[in-house]
Amino acid sequence: MEFNNQQGVWIGVEDLSGDETFIEIAKQEFVSFPEAISEGKEMDGFTPNRRDFLKYMGFGLGAATIAAGCEIPLKRAIPYVTKPDAIVPGVANYYASSFVKGGDYCSILVKTREGRPIKIEGNSLSGVTKGGTSARAQASVLSLYDVNRIQNPGGIKDGKVDGKGNWSDLDKIIAGKLNAGSNVRIVAHTIMSPTAKKALAAFTAKYPNTKVAMYDPMSSAAILLANEQNFGDKVIPAYHFDKANVIVSFGADFLGTWISPVEYAGDYIKNRKIDNPEEAKMSRFVQVESHMSMTGSNADNRILVRPSEQGAAIAALYNAVAAGSNGSGVSAPAVNDRAAKALKKVAQELLANRGKSLIVSNSNNVGEQMLVNATNQLLGNYGATVDFVGASLQRQGDETGVQSIIKEMNNGGVDAVIIWGANPVFELPNGDQFKAGMAKARLSVSFNEVMDETTAACQYAAPMNHFLESWSDAEPKRGYYSLIQPTISPLFSTRQAEHSILQWAGAAPQTEQPMYDYVKSVWQTDMFPKQTAFSSFQAFWDSTLHDGVYEAPQSGATPAFRGDLSAAAAQINKPGTGLEISFFETVNMGSGQYANNPWLQETPDPVTRTVWNNTLALPLKYNGGRDYESVNNLKDGEQAEITVNGKKYTVTINRQFGQMENTTAIALGYGRTAAGYCGTGVGTDVQSAQGIGAGGLTQYFASGIQLSGKTGTDKKFASVQYHHTMGVHAAGKKDYNVDEAMIGFQGGLVERSVIRQTNLKEVKKFVEELKDERAEFQKLNSYTLYPGHMDKYTSGHHWGMYIDLNSCIGCGACTVACMSENNVPVVGKTEVHRHHEMTWLRIDRYFYGDVENPNTVYQPMLCQHCDNAPCENVCPVNATNHSSEGLNQMAYNRCIGTRYCANNCPYKVRRFNWQDYTTADIFPWNERDLRGETIGYNTEMPYGADNLTRMVLNPDVTVRSRGVMEKCSFCVQRIQEGKLTAKRESRQLREGDIKTACQTACPTEAIVFGDKNNPASKLRQKTDSPMNFIVLEEVNVKSNITYSTKVINKDETLEA
Amino acid sequence: MSTVIAPVRPPLILGSKTYHQITEDICTPTERTPSIEWIVGFIVAVSALGLYFFCVTWTVWNGIGSWGLNRTVGWGWDITNFVWWVGIGHAGTLISAILLLFRQKWRTGVNRAAEAMTIFAVICAGQFPIIHMGRVWMAIFIFPYPNTRGPLWPNFNSPLFWDVFAISTYFTVSLLFWYTGLVPDFATVRDRASGFRKRIYNTLCFGWTGSAKHWQRWEALSLVLAGISTPLVLSVHTIVSFDFATSVIPGWHTTIFPPYFVAGAIFSGFAMVLTLLLVARKVLHLEEYITLEHIESMNKVILLTGSIVGVAYLTELFIAWYSGYVYEQFAFYNRVFGPYWWSYFGMMSCNVLSPQIFWSAKLRRNIFVTFFMSIFINIGMWFERFVIIATTLARDYLPSSWSLYSPTLIEIGLFIGSLGLFFTCFLIFVRVAPVIAISEIKAILKTAGDQYIGPNATHHDDATKQNEVVVTAAK
Repeated sequence: MEFNNQQGVWIGVEDLSGDETFIEIAKQEFVSFPEAISEGKEMDGFTPNRRDFLKYMGFGLGAATIAAGCEIPLKRAIPYVTKPDAIVPGVANYYASSFVKGGDYCSILVKTREGRPIKIEGNSLSGVTKGGTSARAQASVLSLYDVNRIQNPGGIKDGKVDGKGNWSDLDKIIAGKLNAGSNVRIVAHTIMSPTAKKALAAFTAKYPNTKVAMYDPMSSAAILLANEQNFGDKVIPAYHFDKANVIVSFGADFLGTWISPVEYAGDYIKNRKIDNPEEAKMSRFVQVESHMSMTGSNADNRILVRPSEQGAAIAALYNAVAAGSNGSGVSAPAVNDRAAKALKKVAQELLANRGKSLIVSNSNNVGEQMLVNATNQLLGNYGATVDFVGASLQRQGDETGVQSIIKEMNNGGVDAVIIWGANPVFELPNGDQFKAGMAKARLSVSFNEVMDETTAACQYAAPMNHFLESWSDAEPKRGYYSLIQPTISPLFSTRQAEHSILQWAGAAPQTEQPMYDYVKSVWQTDMFPKQTAFSSFQAFWDSTLHDGVYEAPQSGATPAFRGDLSAAAAQINKPGTGLEISFFETVNMGSGQYANNPWLQETPDPVTRTVWNNTLALPLKYNGGRDYESVNNLKDGEQAEITVNGKKYTVTINRQFGQMENTTAIALGYGRTAAGYCGTGVGTDVQSAQGIGAGGLTQYFASGIQLSGKTGTDKKFASVQYHHTMGVHAAGKKDYNVDEAMIGFQGGLVERSVIRQTNLKEVKKFVEELKDERAEFQKLNSYTLYPGHMDKYTSGHHWGMYIDLNSCIGCGACTVACMSENNVPVVGKTEVHRHHEMTWLRIDRYFYGDVENPNTVYQPMLCQHCDNAPCENVCPVNATNHSSEGLNQMAYNRCIGTRYCANNCPYKVRRFNWQDYTTADIFPWNERDLRGETIGYNTEMPYGADNLTRMVLNPDVTVRSRGVMEKCSFCVQRIQEGKLTAKRESRQLREGDIKTACQTACPTEAIVFGDKNNPASKLRQKTDSPMNFIVLEEVNVKSNITYSTKVINKDETLEA
Repeated sequence: MSTVIAPVRPPLILGSKTYHQITEDICTPTERTPSIEWIVGFIVAVSALGLYFFCVTWTVWNGIGSWGLNRTVGWGWDITNFVWWVGIGHAGTLISAILLLFRQKWRTGVNRAAEAMTIFAVICAGQFPIIHMGRVWMAIFIFPYPNTRGPLWPNFNSPLFWDVFAISTYFTVSLLFWYTGLVPDFATVRDRASGFRKRIYNTLCFGWTGSAKHWQRWEALSLVLAGISTPLVLSVHTIVSFDFATSVIPGWHTTIFPPYFVAGAIFSGFAMVLTLLLVARKVLHLEEYITLEHIESMNKVILLTGSIVGVAYLTELFIAWYSGYVYEQFAFYNRVFGPYWWSYFGMMSCNVLSPQIFWSAKLRRNIFVTFFMSIFINIGMWFERFVIIATTLARDYLPSSWSLYSPTLIEIGLFIGSLGLFFTCFLIFVRVAPVIAISEIKAILKTAGDQYIGPNATHHDDATKQNEVVVTAAK
């Protein structure tokens, strides 16, 4: 038989030679390999038998059983049955849309991966937000995956949706309870959607006794009412901070929370950037306030007035301006002497900048706002820095409407209450009355997404979609239209509020995608005729949908000013006595509507640097020795009781630099009782302490409050920064810094090369000094044992960053963007209290200058990607190392957790996974919840462990497990993506191909990322400025981040 | 009587011992039922060891989050304990190797116990770098073994990597040295034992017969190991000091660290030797072997090294001021007057000021004073490491990141537990091995002493008789 070498293939020499034994074996069907080969030859000792078989089998089975006995959670990944055309796995799609929540607006691009929205980016085509974003907009994507969202419509019983209701049943119930004569009251925050307004009109047509009451939790009603009286236009005008040389703000937090902060911040900063110190020019910004707001912290000068004195201060400025411009003065109560003197000086400066100045105020007193209008009018600012063309529609709320509804409801005059996004039970000072009144209505239904305080008090829940699941639009400013398009199918059985309204009005299109068709029809009839660029609607629609925004041409003159100023002056608030408190909203929490978003809870408040709490800001005073003093000797983290109008609140204390003497302040929006897993019970609820002033407008201050001594301690007081100052001096002692006295070492703070700041007047001198100092550092650094160390970075890419301290306003958008982009875990209050926060990018905040009224510098601090990195050479296992492109990279799987790198980092930007924050461990019972409690086996899941929340994770970024060090990667996944795109398109990387998450989030373009080896890059243009410095340059770690000096345009004579 | 007898020198062994008496005195503790003191001590030590196992398990299970460390202070009690234990581990080799080379004959009375202490201290020290990673199973990555990841090697630039080799080399050589010394003594114990015990000691002494060739090889090996150990005494703590000195953190980045750490290590090592031996000589009735002469000699070393350490502390302060470098200046200012001022003053008073009392010969020879001083120094040296590690990290370059650190119960438990581990080992050691090197001490019996000449001279046989009576009475 010819067995060997069949078809030129053989197995071994035996096959080739046709060895008998081999052929014999090869013929057998069942080969017992070792036995067959051995055949009493070299493998004699190895003769497997039945017993061996049973032994190994038994061992294997036993081992397998033990291994299988450990329950390992199964995570399923199911492929597409039919792959959508637009989706390529691993490639992100971007859709233009708009972030809208009440009066908060931001034009955005939504990054989706495999059909999941995972990141919000700014839309640079927008004429309003111009590519900037806010922390709230950045965090909004997480709310989509909120486990506390109401998942289906139905009746509400005991604060829960009763059973699995469906929409047709609910529609029938609603229809049954409404008739043409029903008194329907719709309570909402500002609605800026033309589509929603049209839907409401359709509803009102069917139920003519419908009233829509819009209110804003942080009200701007007084501005609306003042403008109605002065100009006959009940609207908030467009403010052009970029056109103003002198800005005076009475308490308005326009960079953080006031009306349109992203827009205002972008405009404001245009006049503040210094590209060339030789011809440095800046606007002057004076903030008049009692409490250190984020905007106030950015001001050149702060004039301290008590909250109740704000009207008097406005009147004082008006009178001073009127005296210098032939205006007629008004009689008003006097403001404190120091402020009066300063305001007179400010008035001179304003008068010198007629038509190039701007006065704004957050006052919710119509008289005060009329005086603000009058001052702007006297200065000729209307038509220049204040304009009714493109007026803002972001605050349309007037709480007098909702206040009269409360009365109506309690009188039994309301048949149906519909809640649309608002949470009046929590937000209003008299929320309990709202709740009591609502109980008397025949029908109460809420559109709210989460079972909040108001929804829990309603009869029915008709949960609306998250905006990322919706078709809608917005008109944040007159003529500025913005589309909202869904980026994911509704996750739950929810329906857009507009759709519900239309359905109940019987006007909903009965099509497959009713809201898509409805929005389109609204745009066809209302917006399409306004433009001329497109002849067909479809082309116009496609273009707008692509861009996300459409700006209609507009023009118009400012209406003539009228109004009785004496009457207005008579209306202003009278200065109060005793200890005063002011209420404000924070950048992250708003008025509580963002409470259930842990990214925002964990983003430190820019000014207080505390998280997961609202704290009572107490003024502090230098005691002349080695300590600060505060009211009743209270210290940070201690608790005390405040009594406001007879109501008592237990609050946590935080001593606040810049807080005016004999005043305090606390943020609203905390202490939610029904906000969901993350938001419930965080902080103190002080909503009921707000006052209701004349005309029913909410007043955000109170006089004559009492503050107790220490009643307890917040054992988990979470502040990410203990040391707040960088050289503050007491009045008249400029050479002696009191904070350095406290650390015991004059020069111990200001001689550090951490921040650099100067006054505009001294900028040239400063630049010379900086040049000399840096030259000295560089000379010392040039002495090296390792010449040529840097040579390898001279070719190819060399990534670097430029951060403009002069542009950074501290808003925190970058911090949230970084958390979102890089899957940075949320750790909760207890862990932040223990300084275990995980943020890769933090914004350090230092006060400097006068101890009682300091200036502030914000310093975004992230991994500096040092080319001579101290972290790299101490890692025993090379887990952190340097890329050839200058990146300091982390190999998470290699990290063994010695933490030497973190110890050795001069910037302290490395973050260690102290516990299993990402729930990456396979055994859940050593995990902790956000309150720091251990989670028992088989009980509640820790935050972020569920599949819904995990949908927000960026699949391009590894989720880090316990015991691993992590830190900023310069968004290496974006760098990689940019390089791959360029490679695929066979071209060089272009400027702007790669932008880090923090860079794109920034509303003031304070962050520029780029290639240091590319002479044409924007980064290189920025880094060549003589205003720049490197933090801790003398340590010679060769940081790749360049900062530019903080410059303020302070008028020192103002404070004398 | 061929050796030189110097009548002016005080005797190294008191009590006119014969060779047999020495054997009896030193072997007896391993042969009789443990004393009540030993049993109580052992129960306490084993309880602490149990606490140690609990705290290690807790740490591994829950992660380093169960400790009080934070984003600013990445090392706390863990590395403090590590450096403290390594420091303690220095006395053994110093006594065995350097004092051997310097022909300090008094060392034979204490070298066995000191070497044992070294071994156990290094065992305790070695625990902490592994535990402080949290995920202990990752420790394997630190070894340079061929692997399929490239291969991927450890970072040869990292002082932590040098540590691994410094400590493991030191441990290996110390263990060899210690065991080599034990071999003839194990043989002595074997010769007196019977049955199963005999078989064990026979194995432990590698069948030692006491032939001249054995002794010759043994002597040669001891000398070689002493030669190898000598540089190790200096190198180990030098490399441990590199963990700090090679960093960029002001207060760590200091060129003075290697000599300063070595002096401190010898200082703390001698203190720990004294702590142990003052108790052991009392409990095991070894007063005649570990005499006041020994105690005084060790107190002299403590005085010297304590003063070196003191000069180092002052030099640091001077250099910080002289440097004109604000970070360095602040780091040391903060050390002295910052939030951890108490640990600095604890360190200064325990390490620098209090040993100065040993200028007085009377106090040097006072057992109670010595014992309390040794405890003081142990505390002071622990504070020194805490000051260097926690105080420095808590306030470094960026004021925004300044933080504070305090340990959790788990960390405290780990420290107490490591003491339990140490004392458990030591108590077992005194039960199974001769606490004093019998063979070596016999060699110095006649070098000095006045039992053969001078006013106290007694006849050899009388002395034997007297001691037999004593031994019988003891039984």
